[in-house]
Amino acid sequence: MSDRILGAVCVVVGAGMAWAAHGYAAPISYEPVGPRAFPLLMAGLMAGAGAWLVVRPGPHGFGLARDHLKPISFAVVAVFIYAALYEWLGFTLATTVMALPVGMAFGGSWKQSLAAGAGLGLVLFLLFDKLLDVVLPTGVLSFILGGR
Amino acid sequence: METLQYLLTGFGVALTPTNLMVAAIGAFIGTIVGMLPGLGPINGVAILMPLAFALKLPPETALILLAAVYMGCEYGGRISSILLNVPGDAGAIMTALDGYPMAKKGMGGVALSISAWASFMGSLIATIGIVLFAPLLARWALAFGPAEYFALMCFAFACITGLMGDAPMKAALAAIIGLSLSTIGLDSNSGVYRFTGDNLHLSDGIQFIVVVIGVFSISEILLMLEQHHKSEGIIKETGRALFNLKELALTWWGTVRSAVLGFIVGVLPGAGATIASAMAYSMEKRMAGPDGHFGQGDVRGVAAPEAANNASAAGSFVPMLTLGVPGSGTTAVMVGALSLYNITPGPALFSQNPTLVWGLIASLFVANVMLLCINIPMVGVFTRVLRVPNWALVPGILAVSTVGVFSVHATTFDLMLMSTFGVAGYLLRKQGVPMAPLILGFVLGDMMEQNLRRALSITNGELGILFQSPISKGLWIIAAAMIVVPPLMRMRAGHKVHAVI
Repeated sequence: MSDRILGAVCVVVGAGMAWAAHGYAAPISYEPVGPRAFPLLMAGLMAGAGAWLVVRPGPHGFGLARDHLKPISFAVVAVFIYAALYEWLGFTLATTVMALPVGMAFGGSWKQSLAAGAGLGLVLFLLFDKLLDVVLPTGVLSFILGGR
Repeated sequence: METLQYLLTGFGVALTPTNLMVAAIGAFIGTIVGMLPGLGPINGVAILMPLAFALKLPPETALILLAAVYMGCEYGGRISSILLNVPGDAGAIMTALDGYPMAKKGMGGVALSISAWASFMGSLIATIGIVLFAPLLARWALAFGPAEYFALMCFAFACITGLMGDAPMKAALAAIIGLSLSTIGLDSNSGVYRFTGDNLHLSDGIQFIVVVIGVFSISEILLMLEQHHKSEGIIKETGRALFNLKELALTWWGTVRSAVLGFIVGVLPGAGATIASAMAYSMEKRMAGPDGHFGQGDVRGVAAPEAANNASAAGSFVPMLTLGVPGSGTTAVMVGALSLYNITPGPALFSQNPTLVWGLIASLFVANVMLLCINIPMVGVFTRVLRVPNWALVPGILAVSTVGVFSVHATTFDLMLMSTFGVAGYLLRKQGVPMAPLILGFVLGDMMEQNLRRALSITNGELGILFQSPISKGLWIIAAAMIVVPPLMRMRAGHKVHAVI
């Protein structure tokens, strides 16, 4: 069943690609094959592969155990929040905030996860930003850590 | 003779203090990454690649780092296979079959040292193979025109889908997704913006790093949440630390055979360390016959797959360096790393950038010696890393991954896109869609389209040119065979099974 859903999504995406790519034309063309052909070919193949999966789905089920649902959705949300807070809070604080739910999803207590996050945030910041010259955002801590 | 001279130049590059240090660091990190269950060479190389770029390492140094990590991973995988009965990476699955029983019998030290030796031999033989065959292949490939290149890339995709085993259509789908993603952004020939949705961040296309980190690092973290390692804990009593001469003699020819086999499998696009080690294991098992006790702790069963998986890792550099068409997910990531430096691997690389190519090849020798040196005496250090709990490890992986992504453009948009790719990659992998073809498609997409357009420009749109030259004809025929033959063989094997039942 889940193969059929995947296949259907691919057919829709393929159709969307074809629709979007339909209008791609070079204002002045020097070559017989323009910017439209390859995307259209891919759109066709995508829809074709999707249709194949709809017609002949494999035995493969999605198979997500119910007790995994919570930690996984936790982790997914944490990753997005991490990305959103990265520049604003700065690397160190954002990492601390991210490590709490992620660490707990992997079986740590909240104290352990928080400590790991704070430690990682600080050590990695010092390692990359100060020692190795890979610039990281300092965010709200910029008055201590310098930078922007 | 010429080759020898180039190789000496290469050693000149590899033996500079910076490159030596980078190779040692890469070897060490690689062993750890390979050892940790869930993280394999592709994750390690993907996470380190943007860092190498952000550290402003010169291209050959960056490539040496990544190559050392790749080789180190093939070494590291065996440690957790032997001591935990959980393969550290996909290439080490077969090592657990005999390695763990050996460790249970109190011969863990022997298993670890003989497998480190076999890994060394595998890498060494395969690197010699690179030296012998890569320049020849590169010279031959110089004759390739756009049509041949297009056929070659189709051949690579055919290999990767045909050999992907259980779900070729899903591997094909992954490649199509990768190719489609590569079309996003400005088309350089015509100035048309494709699939950007008027988003300024997408006008330059999607950053390779964002895709790689998303589908290999973020999605891996989500998958790790579901894995329950039913291991019985680390075996602490490892007994005698070094193999003896009798064990060395017993495994010698099997190691050499497996290394040669692994190299050949590695050179083929699509087939990687997993297939190589499985083939080597079953070959040795068959050759040992009744006097082997494979599965219950036979030294030969530890040496053969380790020699093969290291050899195939080294072998997969051949198509990448000579043709510019990577044969495995990991080398695809390396091609992406080179593209950050505006270097396109291919046959011309051997003549235009010999320091890069030969420096890399020489550093494979150097890193291999280093790996042998750190892997036999320092096993204790590595096993301690295995005890780092996941609640500290995983946030660390995530944080280092974002450092890499952020270092390229420093935008929140890229981080968001990375997270999106992570979730999408997770869903696709759960559905049995492999990610290696996706990365291969994304890396090769632009080259494939450009070669197709160039080829068709020659004939003004006539498709016949794609099938005209003997080289492209040959490639198309093998590509077709790659897709058609494996299912037929599976069907025949299936019939046989039915006949037996």
